[in-house]
Amino acid sequence: MTRHRMHRREGQLSIAGKFSFLMVSILCILILIPMVFTFLYSFFPKGEIETYLKGRGNYDQTHWMEILYSPAQFSLRQYYKIFIEEPTYLKLFCNSAMYTGAILLGQALVIPLTSYCLSRFTFKGRDALFFLILILMILPFQVTMAPSVMMLRWMGIMDTVWAVILPMCFSPFYIFLLRQFMVGIPNELLEAGMVDGVGPIRGFLHVILPVCRPIIGAAAALSFADTWNMVEQPLVYLANKQALQPLSVMFNQISTERADVAFAGSALYILPALFVYFFFQEDIVAGIQLSELK
Amino acid sequence: MFHKKKIVYLLLLPGLAGILAFYIVPFFGGIYYSLMDGTFESNFVGLANYERVLNNKMFQLGLRNTWELSLMCAPVIWLLAFLLSAMLKSLKDHSVMFRNVLLLPYLMPSSAMLLIWLLMFDYGGVINRLVVQLGFERQLWLEGDALRFPIVLLYIWKNLGFSVVLFSSALAAVHPSLYEYASLEGAGWWTQAFRITLPQILPTAFLVFVLAWVNAFKIFKEVYFIGGAYPTEAVYTLQHYMNNKFAKLEYQDVTTAAYLFAVGVMVLFAMMYASKAVRSPDER
Repeated sequence: MTRHRMHRREGQLSIAGKFSFLMVSILCILILIPMVFTFLYSFFPKGEIETYLKGRGNYDQTHWMEILYSPAQFSLRQYYKIFIEEPTYLKLFCNSAMYTGAILLGQALVIPLTSYCLSRFTFKGRDALFFLILILMILPFQVTMAPSVMMLRWMGIMDTVWAVILPMCFSPFYIFLLRQFMVGIPNELLEAGMVDGVGPIRGFLHVILPVCRPIIGAAAALSFADTWNMVEQPLVYLANKQALQPLSVMFNQISTERADVAFAGSALYILPALFVYFFFQEDIVAGIQLSELK
Repeated sequence: MFHKKKIVYLLLLPGLAGILAFYIVPFFGGIYYSLMDGTFESNFVGLANYERVLNNKMFQLGLRNTWELSLMCAPVIWLLAFLLSAMLKSLKDHSVMFRNVLLLPYLMPSSAMLLIWLLMFDYGGVINRLVVQLGFERQLWLEGDALRFPIVLLYIWKNLGFSVVLFSSALAAVHPSLYEYASLEGAGWWTQAFRITLPQILPTAFLVFVLAWVNAFKIFKEVYFIGGAYPTEAVYTLQHYMNNKFAKLEYQDVTTAAYLFAVGVMVLFAMMYASKAVRSPDER
């Protein structure tokens, strides 16, 4: 029955369907091209890519940059240089990994618990607090930037890694996202537990958390993407500490100074995001649908 | 639902402390700050800071650019996302794969795309080849006003998939029989998309537009990657203004500009809230 139906459905692709198929395919290829070429160019020999990049910025009307499709020789030299010869790049990469790891860990400790309180308890000022979180969520980072810096300075953590990590651990958006999901969990689940004498803490650990697995996956993936690509916060909070900057901030500089390995660098930087994406794909889609503020 | 359990205060403590320290106190502290002068005695100056910032040339430039950039990004994203999700719907089983490809850039660090972008938009690069193929003159994409184009494109590349997902979930709820009737009546694809689909999902469509707009209003990363910290005038955004004021330690101007910025975002958000598409589940 199912097979028959599937067959019928596939055969049903109308003319509009075929046209859509073509259009969307073309667009998808266009979207993938920059990434594909980044990976491709990362396997070019250093010298070849360096000469190629030097051809940029030629304003001769008759001159075109070639489009390179395959290297003169397939090479791992760029990667070798990054990993072994010149670890500056690798250090920045590790900075990024450290920030992302620390922030995700912090968020895991704080955010589900806070969302739980906001969704499953009644207490004074709950709605006001939630409304504030909603507002803070949509505000751009710069709005609280200057007072935040004074706060961080007062705490004595300005220009340290904590200035970047700690505020992000309480990111309002993810509190909101998890709260939206938790509100939707049927009350019966918790009530059944309460009859058996399950208190708020065990209710959280054994009832709520397992049900929330998909949304936690989505939040983790979205938060990963956020922190892996963060620019604004380190740019301000670590203004005087270049050695502590994550890679995302330094790419601008690297692409001009170390053009010979920049493609391998970019490819390496994309890779973790790619893994996260393939692992959490479906969760991410579900998570985005929830962020619709319903 | 737990009522009147004292333990909630204990559980809430870490989260609340962090939100208070890093978000709420700075938010309200900032309002206080924007009403004071920057001297040691901190005199109350009322709205003088606002007046000064509003009259500042660079602030006006930043505001205008941010406004224009967001108005370039948001409608394009909205229209493309709508058409794409309508197309995806007619693809049935194949649509998941395509949707996932469209969403992929949303997770990618746009900083890593910088170099390939610069290559594509070089004077002798692929984009100009295309431009010449279509019979136009080559452009200097990486200078002056044209610099907006690669930036907007990078922004759209990254954020399109998000809106497609929102649209697609709304489209899935439209009843298929509506299309069957329309087909019987002889309505074509465009007619169906704009006469049936769009009216059916109007609240979501509005929401997607405002969300795209609010987010595009915060555009900075892409500009920073391509244009740097001190970009040419055409792409100097509000956030550049604030970052640069900040570097000069002129905190009053930063916070004051920030609150003007916040008001702008709030107005957009209020429009969204008023559309009634936004309601917390409790209220429904």
